[in-house]
Amino acid sequence: MAEPTKVYRNKKIVDSLIKKIKEESEKTEEKIRIMHVCGTHEHDLVKAGLRSLLPKNIELIAGPGCPVCVSSAQDVDEVLWIADNHNTTITTFGDMMRVPGSSESLYQAQGRGIDVRIVYGVSDAITIAENSPEKDVIFFSVGFETTSCVTAAEVVRTTLPNFSIYSSHKVIPPAMELLVQRDDLEFQGFLAPGHVSTIIGSKPYEFIPEKYNFPVAISGFEPVDILMGIHSLILQINANSPRVDNTYGRWVKPEGNTAALRTIDDAYVISEARWRGLGVWPATGHEISDKYSHIDAKKKYDIPELEFKELHSGCICDEILIGKTKPNECQLFMKACRPDHPVGACMVSHEGTCNVAATYEEIQWED
Amino acid sequence: MCLAIPAKVCEFLENKRVMVDITGVKREADTSLLEDQLEIGDYVLIHTGFIIAKLDPKQAQEDLKLWDEILSS
Repeated sequence: MAEPTKVYRNKKIVDSLIKKIKEESEKTEEKIRIMHVCGTHEHDLVKAGLRSLLPKNIELIAGPGCPVCVSSAQDVDEVLWIADNHNTTITTFGDMMRVPGSSESLYQAQGRGIDVRIVYGVSDAITIAENSPEKDVIFFSVGFETTSCVTAAEVVRTTLPNFSIYSSHKVIPPAMELLVQRDDLEFQGFLAPGHVSTIIGSKPYEFIPEKYNFPVAISGFEPVDILMGIHSLILQINANSPRVDNTYGRWVKPEGNTAALRTIDDAYVISEARWRGLGVWPATGHEISDKYSHIDAKKKYDIPELEFKELHSGCICDEILIGKTKPNECQLFMKACRPDHPVGACMVSHEGTCNVAATYEEIQWED
Repeated sequence: MCLAIPAKVCEFLENKRVMVDITGVKREADTSLLEDQLEIGDYVLIHTGFIIAKLDPKQAQEDLKLWDEILSS
């Protein structure tokens, strides 16, 4: 039996929360825009139909929270370059398989004989390496802090000579700062990602209300959890008293998971990172520390500078990723770009904004 | 990607590993990233085979109380 989640899906509580949110939203004539930065939030809130339940003047914007979607074509290209030039097995999460590189995805490369295997996590990739000592095994690792700490656990303890990691890990709080600073985005609060927060805690978000007078609410993923976060943000916005409110306290401690954070600090250095179609964002990446360079695929293989192409013709994933444009405003959406034939990265993962929109037809994007 | 699944600790194994129950499905999980002491019956969050958090039942109760307050206000 898992955590008793029933209470967090209780219709009566959901209805009452919607009523409370509606009452608060009527106190302002302004449009209230809330951005989340988590693919799981997008998936779960759409699956629960929450957008359609919220008052008309509240808009939930999907930010760049799907790690698969934000992975640069350059990363896919580099991993494929290694596979093309060395006797390797590429391992990665299932979601990464169809993420477009400049000319092909890992899935397409598999079709021409490249050895690519889907794993549940880094530990399974290590098992593959143990079982095939004659071949180099590379784990192409993506994800925010929730995932990067797990990869970090293996970075610091694995010494297999035929195993290395290509890190495409990203860090979310500095990315949130860049989003707040953008003039072309208009929103009033952040729904912060619950599972990233189990690792980093609530403290790394504190600069957002302090420096930018901007509300943050850490939220879980069940309907009641998400609505509690939204309710908190609207109260903060209406009272003009921004803070970091942890509404997922049953799992998130203010200090986070200290053992995981120590492992992250040991395994990685903070670096710049390329976000698909959005360019290089400073201090938003986790590269493997020099101390563990033996396990860093980027150092193990002499990857040349490759020309890359982030977006295929007509694809506007760069705008979708920051919530500037909605999926149905893309001319490729459900025409050339579909879940069974994704053109852009946002259509690949089940947490990608376009894939979610395509999967759950009842989604009501506002005009 | 950052999907984490709640599970219940049901058995201690060797090498910092435990057996967890995820809605009836049993699988092993690595505890290397957790400082908290675990006991049989604890609820934990699993992400790609690792336990990343332990449920704070007291806080869960507090949350429920807080909801009651909000909803009855």
